[in-house]
Amino acid sequence: MRNRTRTGAARYFNLVNLGALLIALFVIIPMYWLFASAFKTTAGVGASPPQYFPNPVSTTNFQQAFGQYTFGRYILNSLVVAACSTALVLSLGTLAGYALGRLPVRGKYPVMVSLLMISVFPQIAVIAPLYLIMRDLGWLNSYQALIFPYTAFNLPFAIWILRNYFLGISMSMEESARVDGAGALRTLWSVIIPQVSPGIFTAGVFTFTACWTEFLMALSFNQQNNMRTIPVGIATFGSQFTVPYGTLFAASVVAVVPIAILVLVFRKAVVSGLTSGAVKG
Amino acid sequence: MASTQLAPTAPVAVPGTLVPPPVRRDRMTRNLARMGWGFASPALIVIGAFTIFPILFSIFVSFENVNVTGAGFSFQGLTAGNYSTVLGAGLWHHALWFTTVYTVVTVVVEVALGTVFALVLERMTQGRGMMMALLLIPWSLITVVSAELWSYIYNASYGVLSGVFHNILGAPFSATVALMFADVWKTTPFVTIIVLAGLVMIPQELLEASEVDGANGWKTFWRVTLPLLRPTIGIAVLFRVLQAFGLFDLPYVLTTGGPGTSTESLAMLGYNTMFTNLDFGPGAAVATTTAAIVLIMSLVFLKAFKAQVGKELPSA
Repeated sequence: MRNRTRTGAARYFNLVNLGALLIALFVIIPMYWLFASAFKTTAGVGASPPQYFPNPVSTTNFQQAFGQYTFGRYILNSLVVAACSTALVLSLGTLAGYALGRLPVRGKYPVMVSLLMISVFPQIAVIAPLYLIMRDLGWLNSYQALIFPYTAFNLPFAIWILRNYFLGISMSMEESARVDGAGALRTLWSVIIPQVSPGIFTAGVFTFTACWTEFLMALSFNQQNNMRTIPVGIATFGSQFTVPYGTLFAASVVAVVPIAILVLVFRKAVVSGLTSGAVKG
Repeated sequence: MASTQLAPTAPVAVPGTLVPPPVRRDRMTRNLARMGWGFASPALIVIGAFTIFPILFSIFVSFENVNVTGAGFSFQGLTAGNYSTVLGAGLWHHALWFTTVYTVVTVVVEVALGTVFALVLERMTQGRGMMMALLLIPWSLITVVSAELWSYIYNASYGVLSGVFHNILGAPFSATVALMFADVWKTTPFVTIIVLAGLVMIPQELLEASEVDGANGWKTFWRVTLPLLRPTIGIAVLFRVLQAFGLFDLPYVLTTGGPGTSTESLAMLGYNTMFTNLDFGPGAAVATTTAAIVLIMSLVFLKAFKAQVGKELPSA
């Protein structure tokens, strides 16, 4: 009886929602600090006791990061590398996922397990040899120095995801297209690929995010200032003794917001990718 | 990719059902198979050239005397000296110890906390979608950015926590805890999403049956929910352990391995040996041993995993 008369705000006060509120605060508070500090003045960033709200709200940090410093260039570099790697991963990964999912290829199992092992391999294991190879090819400080390794490291996961989607679609349309005389590539392009587009989105968002956030290889291969990606630019900004946090956070906000929007727009794809292992297991 | 955020890090799919190989292979099947290899080979070649070949080359470099001059690098002959130099050194022992402790503590905390978070989210009647969206934000965050953010929060003179903990990054123990906390903050949401996916798969009837039998919520959780979640939690642990063991970005930026070398992970030790000291041979030895440890761990996991879903996988 009592429950039924509870109205408005009172209905939401229970243990579950209190827990949810605490979880939300756990996530939001540090994020808020990043955003708030980006809008503080230099004095505001260094203030003690800290400014809980930027006062005055200032956009100087943004002007500095993209005017005085070259964070714009770093973002451009990240964009080129991530976009090219994603395009390569999706085109090569779709072909391979189709072959390993639908075609009677022998030795699928060892290939798929090897891919699984490669995708968990620590990157530090390939840094020394790749550095020496890139040096010999004259590729240090170039886009391809990152595009090829990024493609190689993201392909295994993309192939796994796409293969699972290829396994899930019906065989009959493919067969009737083949009977109608359509070539293999044409059948793949116009009949099969449209059916696995959720898988392509998932693989695409994952690859793009991974390339956007990658640090170790970018730090090792592209040390020259004009070839740095955004994580390297952020990590190497400032000196050992002073870190201009305001400028750094302004650049970070610009680097982080687009990817967060991408992930939120495609959040169904991201969650399905994150949980594909868990649900199948 | 195994980008240490999360990785994005990034997670891995696990084996699903594999199509059993056909017994008889007629001409059409053979043609399709040939086409299949044609389709798969560009991807496999890129993967081979930029992952498998470098790994093999890394093993070679780790047994080489590498000479670094202004003109470049040259190989001066085989040696086992790199391994004895590295494995005998206190730095490696410490890095191995630090990386292991860090991995165990963060994974245990993240999985426990992630499970609690998932249980809360599962009971939410409204706003669960919004919470999921919120949890994806730390996952998509650049690890370097989160490291800079926490270094500002922990800053000894004007950090927001400096009033509570003075100079938290100044001592080995508190610096380690500070690193772990930053990791837990960024990665628990990822674990939550995975565990939640397992949680919603549990048939409601089982939970109701347990309650009908007189078990309270706590008992139902330990006797019904948790055992059914075991495979999911196993996957989450697998992702996290392998990712955490390659730890690099967070300590490189947040503590630079300090104070001293107290928070230097194996990957950082390998990187610094190669790029700061220009000792490519010993650096490759560190990297190769790290990779070997990860490989052994993933084989153990794979075996345990196979035992769990053995019926799904042909033993071929």
